[in-house]
Amino acid sequence: MKTIEISQPKGAAASLLGVVLARRKPAAAVNALPEVTLVRPQVVLDAAHIARYANVCGFHMAQGVPISYPQMLTFPLLMAFFGSGDCPWPAMGTVHLANRIVQLQRLDAGDTVRVEVRTGRLLAHEKGQTFELELRVLRADTLVWEATQTLLRLGVKQPAGAAYASALSADLPLSHQADFMASANIGRRYGRVSGDLNPIHLSALSARLFGFQRAIAHGLWTQARALAALLPRAPVTQAALTSEFKTPLLLPARATLWSTRQIQGTLQQAALFEVRNARGDKPHLRGQLDYQ
Amino acid sequence: MKTTIRRVAIIGGNRIPFARSNTVYSHASNHEMLTATLQGLVDRFNLHGERLGDVAGGAVMKHARDFNLVRECVLSTTLARETPAFDLQQACGTGLEAAIVVANKIALGQIECGIAGGVDTTSDAPIGLNEKMRRILLDASRARSTGQRLAALSRMRPAMLFRPALPRNGEPRTGYSMGEHAELMAREWGISREAQDALALSSQQNLARAYNEGFFTDLMTSFKGVSRDNNLRAELSIEKLRALKPAFDRKVAPEQGTLTAGNSTPLTDGASAVLLASEDWARERKLPVLAYLSWSEVAAVDFFDKKEGLLMAPAYAVPRMLKRANLTLQDFDFYEIHEAFAAQVLCTLKAWEDPAYCRERLGLAQALGAIDRARLNVNGSSLATGHPFAATGGRLIATLAKLLAQKGSGRGLISICAAGGQGVVAILER
Repeated sequence: MKTIEISQPKGAAASLLGVVLARRKPAAAVNALPEVTLVRPQVVLDAAHIARYANVCGFHMAQGVPISYPQMLTFPLLMAFFGSGDCPWPAMGTVHLANRIVQLQRLDAGDTVRVEVRTGRLLAHEKGQTFELELRVLRADTLVWEATQTLLRLGVKQPAGAAYASALSADLPLSHQADFMASANIGRRYGRVSGDLNPIHLSALSARLFGFQRAIAHGLWTQARALAALLPRAPVTQAALTSEFKTPLLLPARATLWSTRQIQGTLQQAALFEVRNARGDKPHLRGQLDYQ
Repeated sequence: MKTTIRRVAIIGGNRIPFARSNTVYSHASNHEMLTATLQGLVDRFNLHGERLGDVAGGAVMKHARDFNLVRECVLSTTLARETPAFDLQQACGTGLEAAIVVANKIALGQIECGIAGGVDTTSDAPIGLNEKMRRILLDASRARSTGQRLAALSRMRPAMLFRPALPRNGEPRTGYSMGEHAELMAREWGISREAQDALALSSQQNLARAYNEGFFTDLMTSFKGVSRDNNLRAELSIEKLRALKPAFDRKVAPEQGTLTAGNSTPLTDGASAVLLASEDWARERKLPVLAYLSWSEVAAVDFFDKKEGLLMAPAYAVPRMLKRANLTLQDFDFYEIHEAFAAQVLCTLKAWEDPAYCRERLGLAQALGAIDRARLNVNGSSLATGHPFAATGGRLIATLAKLLAQKGSGRGLISICAAGGQGVVAILER
């Protein structure tokens, strides 16, 4: 197991450059990911940055540190991984398929935490190779938050690992809960806050270079925007979120949120939800949220 | 002086089909609608030229010129001109309160028969002058010299012409609309969107079935070419209800609402009336009695300082009435609970099942318990018919009285919530 410590993350531009240069990597099949852990040993949760994130994603300040926020802390590590020789594939053209977030304890601005990203399992997907990255946040050596990012490298022939399966089973009827606008500049705004300046999110022109008609919303923005509507107007202590990204949300768009709470989750409260197009007949994102 | 309390018979009822605001009755006034309804009742029971003891009724949305609305309507019918009438108003409780007042007069022997009714239009709504402009005009009329008059009128501004005083469907003390209050109640009681939509669907299906069975044939007079409530959606599906977006969440629970246009009543135009009489009066005219109005109660809650739900007053009124009548909540064959919002009905039922609420708020030893939901609003209610505020009471009385007559014997409960944190309830028996 290799551990790489990153105390001073590179600037957004530099890591983007690394990611773009790494595009030259071939779409080759591998048997396993190298065992690597990338670490930011000391990160302080910055109230100003949390506020900017909350504002872009539609969270209310009363909701505290959003359960999706720690993903912001892992982003430099993810970029470092994709830019390194340890990642067999480039970031560009790697699709975010699903993620699972578990918050074990409430986080607060000002907390000092250790942030880790490590390589996980390979799973075979009908469209290519799925691989997992495990994200962890520890406070005083106690695990407080963890997540699994499931990514898909399209076009890998004979992918390794067990077959990928959806973690969301129950197919319950959902009700129209709310509408929200994904404005034309939301990719740029979220990009500035998150550091994810992938050109497919930034403008219609830059997105077209990569084969999209228009800029597409960051999947994690769409997820966070849905969470802002689903979570109560108070911080939650424990939460579990499972999301699957279905189709890109082309910008600008009016999206609709559909949900039901008629499910039994692992915690006191649970909601099954989908972010769909304006007509409500095409899902962009599907998920289950449990909290208490 | 010797006074005996007499039983009050419900002889029949009549209403015009209810219509969603700004649809088929857009140009019909309260006067027109109530007159047509009263005349239909007069025709059905052959009351032409009869002098009735009293006619009581009202409207929630009312023009200043309609200060004597019910008497004016009576004068427009073929009832004897000597029939007295008066207006009263208790928000959505108006129609039922009117029936209680008339029934009490009959019970005490003050009158032998009477009509109680109600009417409302939100299409032909009263629009007032701009408030500043109104004060200027009043100042001008009070002026003693031309100079004073011109000084007053010089304060007029053209913009005042385009900013009239519009009626509001909201609580003056909270600034929240009825729907926002109902949304707050749904949150407090944890009433799910799914439960609300299910109640809305069953209300629509029940009303459609009742129409198909001809239930309303002798309870209704066509008006303006309409013979059915136009809010009825016989083809409604649960999928269509699920697809509606919450309508009252913006101020009270942004993006977390459960009340939609489908599980809330729309603004509605319409009128209703019921004929009440002593048993002797009915017997003399060989008019069959549908049912008897036996008990009633009103209650009000403090929704401001004590933060009780605005539409929870019926939850208080019913147990008080049950105690006087020596009955339990389960002693009824039918429950007619006005569906202002599906959430209002579900909050009330949940409150009656909650031991802590019944003990602490209602002062009861134990919970009132659950009702048999198969007996609730069996022929549809306000979610399907619509809800012309003052006309709902008359609709409920006529519907329940006929249900009891069809059954032959039994007991039914009526419950209506009203603005201002009020509730009016009654028991019908046969």
